[in-house]
Amino acid sequence: MHIPDAFIPLPQAAVYWGIALIFIALSLRWARKEMTEDKIPLVAVLAAGIFAIQAVNIPIPWGTSGHMMGAALAAIVLGSPFAAVFILTLVLIVQGVLFGDGGLTTMGVNILNMGVIGGFVGFYGYKAAYPLFRNIYPAAFIAGWLSLFVVALVTAVEMALAGTFPLELGLLSMGLYHGVIGIIEGSITAAAVYLIHTARPDIMIEPSKVAVAP
Amino acid sequence: MNRRTFIFAGLAMALVIAAVAPFVASSNPDGLEGAFYGIFGAKEIQGSELDENRAAAAEEEVTGITGNTFSLDSPFPDYSIGGLAKFGEAAAVIIGTILVLAIAYGLTRIVRRPE
Repeated sequence: MHIPDAFIPLPQAAVYWGIALIFIALSLRWARKEMTEDKIPLVAVLAAGIFAIQAVNIPIPWGTSGHMMGAALAAIVLGSPFAAVFILTLVLIVQGVLFGDGGLTTMGVNILNMGVIGGFVGFYGYKAAYPLFRNIYPAAFIAGWLSLFVVALVTAVEMALAGTFPLELGLLSMGLYHGVIGIIEGSITAAAVYLIHTARPDIMIEPSKVAVAP
Repeated sequence: MNRRTFIFAGLAMALVIAAVAPFVASSNPDGLEGAFYGIFGAKEIQGSELDENRAAAAEEEVTGITGNTFSLDSPFPDYSIGGLAKFGEAAAVIIGTILVLAIAYGLTRIVRRPE
């Protein structure tokens, strides 16, 4: 869902960059406060894994494909939406600068969408879904699906503001494709949470106890 | 699983995913591109045939709408390394993965409050 430069007029791209920078600053504050010696390698490996899995485009119907975003996973494992902002920002910088994946003027909006909105929806989706199942895996699946779906709808609204997509058709097609891609997001999020939780039960914070403050 | 094993197992998984990604990944347009081509008439929203000529025209058309002509010449566009095809792409994704790892590790170390 990386928005290329051509999809958004420069003045709007600048506004999104401004909002993104605020959240990037808050994510750095999160890193400064929360980072302990044993969390540093976890953050690094999680960031590397999310970069790698984003390169795996899985085919979906209608001649389209989708890949994992990873924001919900980062927020769930590290227990804060700001973890997602921190990790997705790094991933998007490397993708945009080195590989031309996602624009540079639109990097702000991509950080806002995938890092901030993806991270917050993933985090609160996980918190809200956990009591329904009393089980972290379906909660992780729902958080993953919802995070991707909401980001897709927000992107459709941004495309409408940019004059690139008409609102209704944009919401419809983005919703249709990403409703399916969300199944990939939810499944990999739940699988990764399972692997991490099984290998190191001590790492994952209990959903009812997760902190929010940056 | 002790901490060291856990981290190295995670890193090994990331690198394996990076290495196989270009060989298994679908080259179909992603969800946003698919929606874009559908809306600009290069494919049916629920069809799978992409009209390459219409797709190219759509890309010019959208630049006209937004007026954003900015474009960065990235060193490895679309994860390609000159003339190396899929192995080049695998190398590019591996390089990216290691770079993200190094930046994340370095940055968290720098911003972290000393004890």
